[in-house]
Amino acid sequence: MIRIFHNTRYDFIKWWRHAAIATVVFIAIGLGSFIVTGGVNYSIEFTGGTLMQLEFKQPPDVAELRATVDKVAPGAEIQQFGTNLEYTLRARLEGAGSDNTSTTEGIARKIQQVLTEKYGAEGFTVKRTEAVGPKVGSELRRGAIVAMLLVSLVTLVYLAFRFEWRFGAAAVLSTAHDVLVTFAFIKIFHIEVSLVVVGAILTLLGYSGNDTIIIFDRVREDLRKARKEPLIDTLNRAINETLPRSILTHTTTLSATAALLIFAGEVLRPFAWVMFFGVFVATFSSIYVAGPLLLYIERKFPRSVTDKAHAVPAAVKAESKGENTPERPARPSGASRGTQRPATR
Amino acid sequence: MSNLKYRVALILALVVASVWALFPRTVVERVKRDGSFVYDTVRRVPLKRGLDLQGGMHLALEVDESKQAVADKSDALDRALKVVRTRIDEFGVSEPVVQKVGSDRIIVELPGVDDEARAEAVVQQSAFLQFQITDETQALDKVLPRLDQIIKDKGTAGAAVAGDSTKRTEVPAIPNLFSKDTTAAGDSTRKDSSNAAIPPTTGGPFSRLIQGGQFPGEYMVAEKDVAAVETYLAMPEIQGALPPGKVLRWSSDTLTLGQQFYRPIYVVDARPIITGEYLQDAKPNSSPIEGTVVEFELNNEGGRRFRSETGKHVGDYMAIILDDKVVGRPPVIQSAIGTRGQITMGGRDLQAAQDLALVLRAGSLPVPLKIAEVRSIGASLGQDSISKGTLAMVIAVGLVIAIMIGYYRFSGTLAVAALLLYLLFTMAILAGFGAVLTLPGLAGLVLTVGIAVDANVLIFERIREELDRGKTVRTAIDEGFKHAWSAILDTSVTTILGGAVLYQYGTGPVKGFAVTLIAGISASLFSAVFVTRTFYMIWQSRTRNVQTLSI
Repeated sequence: MIRIFHNTRYDFIKWWRHAAIATVVFIAIGLGSFIVTGGVNYSIEFTGGTLMQLEFKQPPDVAELRATVDKVAPGAEIQQFGTNLEYTLRARLEGAGSDNTSTTEGIARKIQQVLTEKYGAEGFTVKRTEAVGPKVGSELRRGAIVAMLLVSLVTLVYLAFRFEWRFGAAAVLSTAHDVLVTFAFIKIFHIEVSLVVVGAILTLLGYSGNDTIIIFDRVREDLRKARKEPLIDTLNRAINETLPRSILTHTTTLSATAALLIFAGEVLRPFAWVMFFGVFVATFSSIYVAGPLLLYIERKFPRSVTDKAHAVPAAVKAESKGENTPERPARPSGASRGTQRPATR
Repeated sequence: MSNLKYRVALILALVVASVWALFPRTVVERVKRDGSFVYDTVRRVPLKRGLDLQGGMHLALEVDESKQAVADKSDALDRALKVVRTRIDEFGVSEPVVQKVGSDRIIVELPGVDDEARAEAVVQQSAFLQFQITDETQALDKVLPRLDQIIKDKGTAGAAVAGDSTKRTEVPAIPNLFSKDTTAAGDSTRKDSSNAAIPPTTGGPFSRLIQGGQFPGEYMVAEKDVAAVETYLAMPEIQGALPPGKVLRWSSDTLTLGQQFYRPIYVVDARPIITGEYLQDAKPNSSPIEGTVVEFELNNEGGRRFRSETGKHVGDYMAIILDDKVVGRPPVIQSAIGTRGQITMGGRDLQAAQDLALVLRAGSLPVPLKIAEVRSIGASLGQDSISKGTLAMVIAVGLVIAIMIGYYRFSGTLAVAALLLYLLFTMAILAGFGAVLTLPGLAGLVLTVGIAVDANVLIFERIREELDRGKTVRTAIDEGFKHAWSAILDTSVTTILGGAVLYQYGTGPVKGFAVTLIAGISASLFSAVFVTRTFYMIWQSRTRNVQTLSI
């Protein structure tokens, strides 16, 4: 029988500070590039505009193609799409205040016209066109954000009801962290945000939430066993106990995502990339973000004395706070497991 | 033991129901044969493919308020919805979708339609039909000098038509009302222009763009000048100076005279003698003399009015105006017309006549609509997406099966069997709810294959832990399921809640995604927990006194 990560005793929480620095840096790079290179690469579903996917009989000369398209749609993006026979053209309407969809459609027709003049009607086929008015786009954007907030709220309420509010808050905050990191990733790698990618982000939130819940579920169970040990040790144990499950599930999910990434074609690629990256984010955040956050919340709002008294170490803070005054976590008195090495600095 | 019997029976019943739900059935529907639609019985798998997987067109329509504000948009859309639906039904597409979304949008989905322009025209035409008598009184000629003066004063003359005037204006001779020769008009004016680039002093900036046509009220504008004339006509000053009680209407067609393209513009009485509300029926037809025509029939009241009005105007020309564009060339009224008449299509094909008859029959839109969104996907792309998506699915399932069996051996095999059932159930749920499988949905499905085994992994890990503590196989299995249940329940419920929120607030693809998610989680709960448990029970009942479990 194969066993991976069986009875491990890693001190995960010890690394929370490194993890915090890494993730904050990553988010900072992402947000920084917002300032440098402007906004997110929204698909035309969100900005309004025209998209055409073309397939040529002969590989066209890109410069010529650009010159041809520029006649009617200056500034249109031209991208190779998979093979050198397929191209997508994008003419965005960003900042267009008036609802000029009619011209949006008109652009598609005009582009088709000039291309027919240049390459002949037989020289290319239009495989897909999309023309979206800017109003539709802004509504979509709002809808996506509202959906995300609502999903977080519902999760928070349910977890507060099933566990207690501290767990709920930690889970939702760590999910919020996932959104930030994913946005940073999307920004850094210039992935086009379409509705499908929004779907990926939402799936990822659910996935990461699940991961956190499974660890917290273990924590809850171990707490019930009434061990006299600090929460930090309980957390570490819970993470270690759920480690085989985490590794295995992430492996199967990654396999499925990789299959999408490699075989499902160009249209789903952004979705697959976000999901692929997301599996790692979810794993990371359920261990290094949700746990420390739970400890931090616990320290700020300790349980009443009637609850099990936890000597919560002060070693853990919210990542935003920079004060580092960690105490040594108390050694577990109930010698049930091997002693944890205290976090040395 | 009886408990086990019931469990097995339930699983079998669900499998049978799922297979039945997914079994291709014979339905009568409109299918495309050699480019035309016919009703036929076809075998179809109930799980519908979305537009992005089968090709077709998706339109989103909104109320167009650019001309006038609409008070109750939602109500107007409800009325428009009926008209759009009637038109689309007649348009002949298999399984079209026409629905109102929210309070301000109509969604139209036309699978398998590849002629975008035509579909847009049919949907969007207001189809407001009016019959108006063309102007008899040379009213426009009388105000032309004033119009020229206005434009000169504004000093925009040069900007719009700089150096482009090679035509000399003619003061329109009194046209021959009974002329049958359609190519004579305007032709003479063109020939003697002889490219003399002298802007005629008599021709003002406006009047030199416009020439008299064949009969009173008809004028010709060269195609290249149309934009300029439109710009002028849009000026409020010009609007104010136009003859009262008359309106100008462009023709929907272009005339070819010799080498030149002209677009006719007509001056007509503002008051229509009759509008399309009295229209009862319209049929396309073609006659050898007039080419394609649309024959229309008015109801009794309309017929009465029409007869008395046309009776007053015998010898005049009557413009047939659809959506503020003149259709064909206005025919001369030879005698009073009753309930029947026809619209000549001016050399356009039968298809155009069919479409016009269709929109006339379906009635006019209560409000003008504008297209807020168009997506069209070629059928080949859809086919491509399906094959790629399916390939990804097969590979994902293969990988997951390999991992599970490799790691959990016998128990893994049980999980894999449960996984295959999971796929079957999910598809069946989707088909049962009439959900449409889209490309993102397919991606979601592939992804859930990876996630669906999570419940099994949780359970198996738990069983291993219990076995490590030295428990018997039977107890370990029981305890493993019991302990894993709380985590499985919590994760499933949060996912379902999230999915429900998305379903409620999401649009389009996100909604489809949510449906797939909810169906997937429900199916995986059942298959991973209930089905696997049953498998273990069967195994335990077959092999008494098990000492070891391959997990």
